[in-house]
Amino acid sequence: MTFEQPDAHHALLVVEGEIDTLTAGSLERALTELLNASADVLVVDLSAVTFLASSGLAVLIRAAHQAGERRLRLVSTARAVRRPMEITGSDQLFDLYPDRTAALSPEE
Amino acid sequence: MSDWDSHPPAGALGGPSVVEVRTSATAALIPTIRAVASDLAARADFDLDAISDLRMAVDEACATLVDVAAPASMLQCTFRVHAEHIEVHAHVHAGSADAAVSTDTFGWRVLQTLADHVEALRQDSADSVDHVGPTVGIRLDKHAGMPPR
Repeated sequence: MTFEQPDAHHALLVVEGEIDTLTAGSLERALTELLNASADVLVVDLSAVTFLASSGLAVLIRAAHQAGERRLRLVSTARAVRRPMEITGSDQLFDLYPDRTAALSPEE
Repeated sequence: MSDWDSHPPAGALGGPSVVEVRTSATAALIPTIRAVASDLAARADFDLDAISDLRMAVDEACATLVDVAAPASMLQCTFRVHAEHIEVHAHVHAGSADAAVSTDTFGWRVLQTLADHVEALRQDSADSVDHVGPTVGIRLDKHAGMPPR
């Protein structure tokens, strides 16, 4: 899990591997750091996430609520991430992007 | 909560094939169990969404049970692979007498969405010398989904 701030307006968290009860805690801490960043655009790149359990999804949902009007931008095309969000309807809480470049680009 | 041993007999001609996984009841071994679930579903020609759903459902069920398991106890997970569906029955010995599967959680709601059928099981331990708490379990059923195109 790596956090970076490419410029003053963008904060990016890159997450890899499996998000389950073992790893949800460290994701939550990393998301707190992301939310505390003074950036307008918050991006969580989940492209390299291969499993998302409900515990991980719950952490992302809480972060989306905390982000408020800034809206969390999530990057993933993987079924392992998209499927849990679709079946719970939580995909509505995030802005989903197919790749990091699109997520980091300014609003149209 | 329902009767414990009401599953159909295994091993009959044309019946389900059975896979049992028994591990220490620790979160660290759940990735192994969900990998087995995923593998069985793939071999049973489940569609990709159904494979993903079963993997997540088994993870959720096991994580719920590990939470209430007695220290140093075992988690047993039995898969019955039928032609069009997989039935999963997981259980642990709970650490406290009033332990039960919590069904008022976000995780349980997700589990209900993922599986075609899910139920929480509880049976007071007959052997109260060895086990303080009851046996608590989760049974779920997942259908193969649409045939692959």
